[in-house]
Amino acid sequence: MADSDEDFVLESSGDERGPRTRGSRRQTRKSKKEDASAAPRREKWEDIQRSWDTVVEAADGSIAGAVIGLLEATKRKRLLRDTTPIQRGIIRHLVLVLDLSSAMVEKDLRPTRFLLTLRYARDFVTEYFEQNPISQLSIVAMHDGLAMRISDMGGNPSDHLTALQEKAFPLEPKGASSLQNALEMARAELFHTPSHGTREIFVIFGALSSSDPADIHETINALVDDRIQIRVVGLAAQVAVCREMVMKTNDGDDSGYGVVLDEAHYRELMMAATSPPITKSESTSTPSLLMMGFPSRTVENFETLCSCHSNLTKGGYICPRCSSKICFLPTECPCCGLTLILSTHLARSYHHLFPLKNWVEVPWSDAHLSTHCFSCHFAFPLNPPPTSPSKSRQSHGLTTKGFEKGSQSQNNSTQNAVSQRYACPDCKTHFCIDCDIFAHESLHNCPGCQAVPASVTKGRANVSSTTTANSRKLVGHNMKTQVAEATKMLEKSKIAPGNGTGSSMDVDV
Amino acid sequence: MSSQAMKGFEQLEGLPEAIFKRLYQQPATSLAIFRRMLPNLAKTFVMAMLFNPDPIPISTLEGWVHPDKNSLKEEAFAKLRQLHLVTERQGTFALDATFKTELTKALTGGGSPGSFGLPCDTDDKNKVDISFLDKYATEQWESILHFMVGNEVPSSRRPSEGVVRLLLHGKLMEQTRASSEAVITQLGFSFLLQEANAQVWTLLLLYLDMAEQLRMDPVDILHFLFLLGSLELGQDYDMKSLTPTQKGMLEDLRDYGIVYQRKSSSRRFYPTRLATALTSEIRATSSPSRSIQNAISHGDENGFLIVETNYRMYAYTNSPLQIAVLNLFARLISRFPNLVTARITRESIRQAIGKGITAEQIIDYMTVNAHPQLRKNTPVLPPTVVDQIRLWQIEGERMKATPGYLFKEFSTNSEFNAVCRYANDLGVLVWADQNKGNLFVSKHEQIADFIRKRAQPNR
Amino acid sequence: MDNVDGTEHYNFKSNPDLPTLQVIIIDTNPVAWELLKQSSGLGFPDALSQILIFANAHLAFSLSNRAAVIANHLDGAHFLSPAPPGSDLTDPDEANLTPEQQKIVSQQKASQYRVFRILEDEVRASYRRLIKSTTVEDLEKNPNGSALSGALGLALTYINRVCFGGTGGRSGGAEEKVKINSAGGKVDDTGRMMHAKILIVSVTPDPAPQYISVMNGVFAAQRLKVPIDVCKLRESTVFLQQAADATGGVYMEPEHPKGLLQYLMMGFLPDQLARESIILPTKVDVDFRAACFCHKKVLDIGFVCSICLSIFCQPPEGAVCSTCGTKLDVSSLENIGKPVVAPPKKKKKKKVTDSLSESGVASAAQSPAPEG
Repeated sequence: MADSDEDFVLESSGDERGPRTRGSRRQTRKSKKEDASAAPRREKWEDIQRSWDTVVEAADGSIAGAVIGLLEATKRKRLLRDTTPIQRGIIRHLVLVLDLSSAMVEKDLRPTRFLLTLRYARDFVTEYFEQNPISQLSIVAMHDGLAMRISDMGGNPSDHLTALQEKAFPLEPKGASSLQNALEMARAELFHTPSHGTREIFVIFGALSSSDPADIHETINALVDDRIQIRVVGLAAQVAVCREMVMKTNDGDDSGYGVVLDEAHYRELMMAATSPPITKSESTSTPSLLMMGFPSRTVENFETLCSCHSNLTKGGYICPRCSSKICFLPTECPCCGLTLILSTHLARSYHHLFPLKNWVEVPWSDAHLSTHCFSCHFAFPLNPPPTSPSKSRQSHGLTTKGFEKGSQSQNNSTQNAVSQRYACPDCKTHFCIDCDIFAHESLHNCPGCQAVPASVTKGRANVSSTTTANSRKLVGHNMKTQVAEATKMLEKSKIAPGNGTGSSMDVDV
Repeated sequence: MSSQAMKGFEQLEGLPEAIFKRLYQQPATSLAIFRRMLPNLAKTFVMAMLFNPDPIPISTLEGWVHPDKNSLKEEAFAKLRQLHLVTERQGTFALDATFKTELTKALTGGGSPGSFGLPCDTDDKNKVDISFLDKYATEQWESILHFMVGNEVPSSRRPSEGVVRLLLHGKLMEQTRASSEAVITQLGFSFLLQEANAQVWTLLLLYLDMAEQLRMDPVDILHFLFLLGSLELGQDYDMKSLTPTQKGMLEDLRDYGIVYQRKSSSRRFYPTRLATALTSEIRATSSPSRSIQNAISHGDENGFLIVETNYRMYAYTNSPLQIAVLNLFARLISRFPNLVTARITRESIRQAIGKGITAEQIIDYMTVNAHPQLRKNTPVLPPTVVDQIRLWQIEGERMKATPGYLFKEFSTNSEFNAVCRYANDLGVLVWADQNKGNLFVSKHEQIADFIRKRAQPNR
Repeated sequence: MDNVDGTEHYNFKSNPDLPTLQVIIIDTNPVAWELLKQSSGLGFPDALSQILIFANAHLAFSLSNRAAVIANHLDGAHFLSPAPPGSDLTDPDEANLTPEQQKIVSQQKASQYRVFRILEDEVRASYRRLIKSTTVEDLEKNPNGSALSGALGLALTYINRVCFGGTGGRSGGAEEKVKINSAGGKVDDTGRMMHAKILIVSVTPDPAPQYISVMNGVFAAQRLKVPIDVCKLRESTVFLQQAADATGGVYMEPEHPKGLLQYLMMGFLPDQLARESIILPTKVDVDFRAACFCHKKVLDIGFVCSICLSIFCQPPEGAVCSTCGTKLDVSSLENIGKPVVAPPKKKKKKKVTDSLSESGVASAAQSPAPEG
């Protein structure tokens, strides 16, 4: 909630005089209150954070440094998440429920709620399959009091995208929305899904009410019985029944319910649902062994029909069990029902199992250790550390002339700012904020740990080689196969600490 | 903006084969021609052939290209032939031998010393730095522009006789009977609207043109121009390795601000940013031409123009040059110490077009000089204004004339169709009439070749 | 009014021709190069020269093109060019030259285009420093050493900085778009200022323990739409085949490594624009089959643990995943092909937490020795 307060203030600060003066007056009153410490219980709205209070002017009166700090803080906010390896539901079955009722014509989200939602839904589908290549999705719409199926449960993103394009876009948002109808349809759809995967419903809810044919609480209870988890994104305001169903289906945790503040926040909430959910209790899914086929790709001289779309294609993948030709992976073989995937699809999910550790902000006292980002060579601001100027001289004594000149002029403006350096806790390498975000959002590796500290590179505090030592130990000569090794890495991780001995024996043989 | 600079290069394309052969004798020139004058695909072909000792069968190259990109392929082939970069023998392509060795030298660094400029081996007592060179180049170049629009220029910075002669020669200015002072022509106006790099090239090509009349060797001049493009900013170079013609050129180039010499007797020279950006291609506006734009752009390096959707224009400038240029296509309303307000009207645009300025030039000029505030928009300029300016231009273009050649009386319909397709692939087809069997193309050499080849299928 | 056709005045370029950043990752493992020299006659100095010519050719395409060279060394990845700011740029061999010799060197340098010269000097100097810092011990300890994932990581973060201004190719951020626009360069709709491609010249075998991190890098490249080209001079590889395939890059195993340059020029030089119109050599049959963890057999059909995605060639004994120790439900395997019915509710819940010791024994005792 602190977020929304802050945002509100930020917006109003752009207004005319009125609210601003009032704000500052209030602030003085608040400080008096604090002195007296008379307030027994403070409401949330009393603790308003004013963005201008946190800004500290530099010696010369500029706030450039502080602004950089604030920018980086907002960038990082997205990033900091729990990174202990946890069991996640990698194989997911999710029903995306879109509200296409008359509430969606509102224009408070530009261009309209309807258009923005469909646009985001498209991004969601792409991102979902990017993150969960061996999962399935289905889309349902709430339209004119009814639930409408947009696309069936399936693993091919392009099917869903075409369905959205052909079925959802031409619709006119109309009538009331019925949560119960949609949930029942989703429940029916999830009923047949295998027990090893997750079952989720993700509702985009624009209306403030739901007109249902019967008691929705019964549906919610049925969902709980079926081990279905619900997430909701509300577009207008919090709705009690939504909160209730999120809490009930997630063991009393309502973090899966969010109400959007603006377009960007909406997107954030949508995209948050693309990363696989944490497996909280045994009940959500039964671990099981799945039979999967790893088809080989062929190129033929003549076009033949594929068994999935009956299109004429020249190449494709051959199901190892029934030898039918499929043009898209991952999928279920249309003839024999075998799940067909590529080994790369499995690899794509591994990063969910081993999240990259959060990097820590480097205090100014350590800032002298680096002059530039380790991986992208972005120049850091140089602040002469008051304690040991001689040391800092050493670290960037060899910089080129132009670089030094540039940094000197920067010094004044960044006195009070953050050091703009972020360090990996393992290899202690310093990175810039952009690399921090890139490494955590896209790369899922630490370039520093992987590239191994070099003696020539300055800008690192110490050289830790634990990771490499481990991996060196693991280098086997007869390892030609990739996935076997991947699983070795799995063993090394904390998922099964007890198994460490067993695996290293395997390797040493 | 690119169109004008390219126009300059098209002039070069018309040079006779013998001149090209001589041009290719310098690695710097070979490199510059490779980079500036070839389309992307042609570059790829050249690189594929460069280190291959044997000629490549044309069919191999043709098989390399996607079938539906045929027109690009033909364009690339046409360009290679036109520049005499390839010799065709028995269905194979071979790179011109001189070009091949010189480009290889450029890439491998195996050329003779000084092929990319000979740096001075002694230190200059009066060494100048890059910011000085930038300032020098800007001043020199601007004084020419100021002179053209007829602004009062302090006599010390009046362009030299040579410059004036050049401007007159290029019909950028002309002497009227009424006064002895030269005044700017329509051609000159459209010159002013060009991007700095294009302006430099326009002027240099005029110089080349004039130099031929003065019996200077054009190859020597071009070699030197391309060499300048490959020099390093801030480095002083020795005149030793230059030919007498090139030494003579230095003096003129100094007047334009392209090179700096402390005094004319000095034996060292410094290229300025105008020179080092010479062989950068326009298509990448990012760094080089941007920086040259900055070097030239009259003090304010971030652009100064704000255009609103209601056709009003605000120019944060007090430079007489800028104001004069604005006056070419907008009606000025009021002037403040640092701001000029103006309005784009139908009359003002029609007037500009009457002077030979095109809508594209105006739009490019406004885009290049857009204020940072305006630059935040995508597209930078309000689309209504851009569209309207274009519409105003085509108001006057009910008819369009294309010089070209008419082919008629084909023997069979299939031959007509084949030629038609070929011409279309080349991009020279202007008009064709299936019924009458007539075909109109803008260039005929290759079409004629093609027809001749078809007539003798045995060869 | 319909007759007024303004279309030809509206030929906007939808996709601006952007310059290209070429990142070259070279294996610098001396052992592997020595082996290659013995088998095919191509030594590292020759190869480096040819690669530098390739880089020059790339730079010659356009003045705005850029190149970066990263060394994939025994124990780590290092930028050769651009050298990290603040590092010592002097060539160790050049420092002890007499002034006379230095003069000659500088004269020689004048025979080279400055952009090319800067790159070459930087690469050669950094490489010499790298080799000087490598000891025989390192070689013996790690003859197949390679830091592929690190090199990829460096390349991608650098590309992210140079081509996307650090935005990671996210099209969403309106504020970031503005930032780039005001910087004055051309951008396309994802905020990309330059195209990029990666070329990996590899002589070392697959760094097996890095599989996950390499694949993570490959997927990041895929997101940034950066093709990874692979020139494999020795030791056929699975990782890099998959990398090239996933990112739409070129994979080649030159038959005659001595002619490396011609391979580079024909196959790897074309940039994004040229690749749209050129048919590039692609490897048709990429090996996508997986190998099981238990016997290292290459499989067509396998069994996958739903928790940790380990692959088995047959259901493990006791239905316990030997990787993560989870007790697995194998009941659904028997009725494959038939509609799956939700498991009966009364079934006992499996316990995971206390299976540690049990499973450790199981895997150690029951996994037969792998062949080789």
